[in-house]
Amino acid sequence: MKKKPTTTVYIIQYAILILAAIFAFYPVWFAILASGRLGDRLYTLNLAGMFIPTEWTFENYRVMLFERPLGLWLRNSIYVASLTTIASLLISTSAAFALSRFKFWGRESLLILLLAIQTFPGVLSLVAVAQILTALGLYRTHEGLVLAYTVGTLVFSTWNLKGYFDTIPIDLEEAAQIDGCGPVDSFIRIALPLARPALAVTALFGFMAGWGDFIFASVLIPAPDEMKMAVPALYGLANSQNVPWGYFAAGGMIIVLPTLIVFLLLQRFLVSGLTVGGVKG
Amino acid sequence: MIGWSGRRKALTILLFLGPTIVGITLLNIFPILLSTYTSFTNRNRFHPNPDCNAFLTGLLDPVCWPVFQGRAQRGLAEPYTLQDPLFQNYSDLIGQLFTLEALGALVMIVLCFVPLILARYLDRRFERQVSRPISSATLWGGAIVLGLALAFALNVNAAYDTLMSTGDFFVVVFRTLLFVILRVPLSFLIGLTLAMILNSEHLPGRTFFRVVLFIPWATSSLAILMALVWQFFFREQGVINQVLGVFGIDGMAWLTNPVTAFAAIVITDTWFSYPFFMIVILGALQSIPADVYEAAEVDGARWWTTLTRITLPLIRPAILPAIVLTSITAFQMFGTAYAITQGGPTRGADQPGATEFVIVYAFRQIFNSQNYGRATAFSVILFIFLFIATLYSLRLTRITKGAYE
Repeated sequence: MKKKPTTTVYIIQYAILILAAIFAFYPVWFAILASGRLGDRLYTLNLAGMFIPTEWTFENYRVMLFERPLGLWLRNSIYVASLTTIASLLISTSAAFALSRFKFWGRESLLILLLAIQTFPGVLSLVAVAQILTALGLYRTHEGLVLAYTVGTLVFSTWNLKGYFDTIPIDLEEAAQIDGCGPVDSFIRIALPLARPALAVTALFGFMAGWGDFIFASVLIPAPDEMKMAVPALYGLANSQNVPWGYFAAGGMIIVLPTLIVFLLLQRFLVSGLTVGGVKG
Repeated sequence: MIGWSGRRKALTILLFLGPTIVGITLLNIFPILLSTYTSFTNRNRFHPNPDCNAFLTGLLDPVCWPVFQGRAQRGLAEPYTLQDPLFQNYSDLIGQLFTLEALGALVMIVLCFVPLILARYLDRRFERQVSRPISSATLWGGAIVLGLALAFALNVNAAYDTLMSTGDFFVVVFRTLLFVILRVPLSFLIGLTLAMILNSEHLPGRTFFRVVLFIPWATSSLAILMALVWQFFFREQGVINQVLGVFGIDGMAWLTNPVTAFAAIVITDTWFSYPFFMIVILGALQSIPADVYEAAEVDGARWWTTLTRITLPLIRPAILPAIVLTSITAFQMFGTAYAITQGGPTRGADQPGATEFVIVYAFRQIFNSQNYGRATAFSVILFIFLFIATLYSLRLTRITKGAYE
């Protein structure tokens, strides 16, 4: 055991932690406060109101939930994000399985190629992606968006999963194969359950890709309003001539909260799912 | 490895890799090819449409494909054609770099960094010797002084101005590099400090702090919305100025001053990115066995020695790839700057703004000016740089691999 630190060390440590915690949490706290304040009074906020709740109303939440098509936007986002999660999990797990459990010609080059093409900035291929989707008849559809997001997550997920699968010894699967199990079967029964943290990370990243993206969603589904995804739709609301700051913040809270909870619940998984298999290149 | 062979193995591999390969080809490789082709054409708002009779255009532009017929919206404007000369877009962007004057300026700037590279090399060499002739601090201090002296002697300021006048490319790339150089070490230091505190065993409430400190990353999926909150902090009537007002200080318009607007973007992006470092470093710290520290304590090692001689070298394999990857993503940063300043403040209509980083610049070239030809040429140049950076990061990873196994 390490020896206990002195009081001075304690004070310094807590001072740093508290400062950092304020830095980390204040923007979120600010958004929470703004969501409970009425109307579009962006510039008339009193100073105290920026730090403590001087007034509180659920009016903004009521308006956003019942008078704006937020429910519709959320449904679109949930649909796209869940489909992206499933597609990304299926495709990257099977690719990572092949890359981790088989040795074949071109395996190394494929892994490097995957990394290299990822460096072409996604924003800049947006026009070409939009053209391809139009050619396939998927422009302005949610399915087209799912396709774009899924491919966008593939590189990271495949690398991360492959790295994790590599750390799971293959002996167990070989033992199962001697007992008459096929390679694919044994992989699904033995390796997959062990890779749960990495799968959780993959699922989370897939969901976030669909849930929080702004650029692809706003370019690939520019209209109509009821087709839009939650984030660009909300951003559109905030960026119009008069900013309904309260509505905007309330909508943001509704969108952020579920993901915040999921993130915090999966925190432990995240540490092991990211660092064990490692995005170690 | 699985002991199948022959056709069965090939089929299985193909089946499992198939969806990935199709997806990547369709939505990654093809866009890169099309962009590369477009970068040699004069495609812009006056020439938006393809001329399908031209062989390469007909082959590459989806508008010309048979499946596309009927869905295409075709205007009456002139079709785009290959540029004459072919590299016109590229020479518009970086052409003036190849004058004698600009190349000389570039060489001068590079020269100023030679002492630092030399110091790194010597530092490495001395590290392997039993008794160091010069201490590390002296070496680096000397290198920095020498570099600054060189900068004065060669009049780097003038050289820099010469380079900046060669066109948008260098302005934008330098600005982005400056952003990366500020932002990555800043979030690394914050992440390292917090991870080391959170890793100490006798600290009541550390789970609570870990959760709170993790929040920015959890909201980063909705970065564009949180960026708007940050924008409000920096506005003229925003939180910062109101707090300053209490102390009788007149705040400034942070987002219309080039320097403070830049700083605002750095701070905001640090907020988004330090939790990633914190988590990666925390994971790495937890894998260091405690007896290493006990041994150091027995030997009477001080805090600073423990940090630089034990902690940092041991977590290096895990954090080095993270640093390289984060640098690449920081280089491609888009959302934060676009939401907060939209690339501004700018001095003139044709000049890139103070926070117009590479991707913001390219995005505005495409979506505001419909300048496809030039924007794609820009992205191809960037792609070459980033490609090399990625290969370099792979090499770094190879070197550090095996430290844990």
